[in-house]
Amino acid sequence: MAASAPAMALPGSQAEPRPDAELVRLCQNGTVAAFEDLVRRHQQRVFALVAGILRRPQDVEDVAQQVFLKAYLGLGRFDQRAAFSTWLYKIAVNECWDYLRKKKVRPLVYEADLSEEQVSQLDGIMSSERPPQNPRDRAEIRQLLEKVLDALPEQDRQLLLLKEVEGFTVQELADMLRLNVNTVKVRLFRARGRIVQASRRRIRASGSSDARPASRPERKD
Amino acid sequence: MQTDAGLNTQACPKYEVLLEDYLHGELEGADARNVAAHLAGCAGCRLALADAAAGTRLLGAASPVPGPGAAFSRTAMARIYAAEQERTAERAVFWQPFVSFGWRLAAAAALALLVLVTYGASSGRRLQPNVLALRPTAVNDLFSPDPARSPATSDEVLMMLAENDHGHQ
Repeated sequence: MAASAPAMALPGSQAEPRPDAELVRLCQNGTVAAFEDLVRRHQQRVFALVAGILRRPQDVEDVAQQVFLKAYLGLGRFDQRAAFSTWLYKIAVNECWDYLRKKKVRPLVYEADLSEEQVSQLDGIMSSERPPQNPRDRAEIRQLLEKVLDALPEQDRQLLLLKEVEGFTVQELADMLRLNVNTVKVRLFRARGRIVQASRRRIRASGSSDARPASRPERKD
Repeated sequence: MQTDAGLNTQACPKYEVLLEDYLHGELEGADARNVAAHLAGCAGCRLALADAAAGTRLLGAASPVPGPGAAFSRTAMARIYAAEQERTAERAVFWQPFVSFGWRLAAAAALALLVLVTYGASSGRRLQPNVLALRPTAVNDLFSPDPARSPATSDEVLMMLAENDHGHQ
């Protein structure tokens, strides 16, 4: 692929959004500017995926950009048998694991226990039918949940976060993690139960078990 | 998994996939009726489903990760253009010795051709056979005096006479 001038406008870019497959073909024929549309279209999800695996905010942007660079450099070998997004997410997953291996770091593990306030917040969410709408509250809940999710095996944690928080489909998760669709469903189902049980244990450990919904039976740890 | 009340919260393995779909309202018709009937009689699956629903609520309360800033795509594209230029330069560096060798080879071949042509042109006349010098008579009659030439010495006169006498005989 020959480099086109960065300022070169993509013909017809003002019209109907082009499908990924067409943009990929344009890139493969040397129109580098077409790749910018692909970056804009997929950056949010690649960012979410990388953030879900790495959990180190300072590394996420750099790795996400590396994902797009790798995708561009490998575009000549992409035969479009799978969707571009599936191929891109696989690159993202591989890039994250490569990054963690090279840096010799495990995905960040939260060692700190939950504060009283966090436990109370967790209890509140679990007993409430309506999720909070305030973005600030939701951002706090995400941080809180990431601590609770540490109770799960790494892949289950990623599956839950990517499916329930970031909105990836079961099929997308199966493709990017090279798992059977039914395996993903079973793991998700079990992981959901585990995270609830882990939350209850935390709530009980903090002594606020009185606030637990009465419908759940008491459990031993 | 057992609760204090001795309740098993583990779903029946056969129903886990169906329960996951049931949880999201993705089951219809006979499958949905089958799962509903099973749930009515299986406490383990009921509890597992309730936990899974609570987990979904819990996770649904969290916000997705904030997206990249506006500069993300520009920075990504700048890296891509830089990498593309580097790749083009690397390609040129890789082929440079071959190109250089090719030019040298072509120059040497042209020079050799020029030398051959020049040499051929200059020695062409010299190499042409001297037809007169290779007359058969000259080869077969080395000792006879040239008949066109008049004898210069007495020996030559005697030789001419002897030749003539032999010719008459």
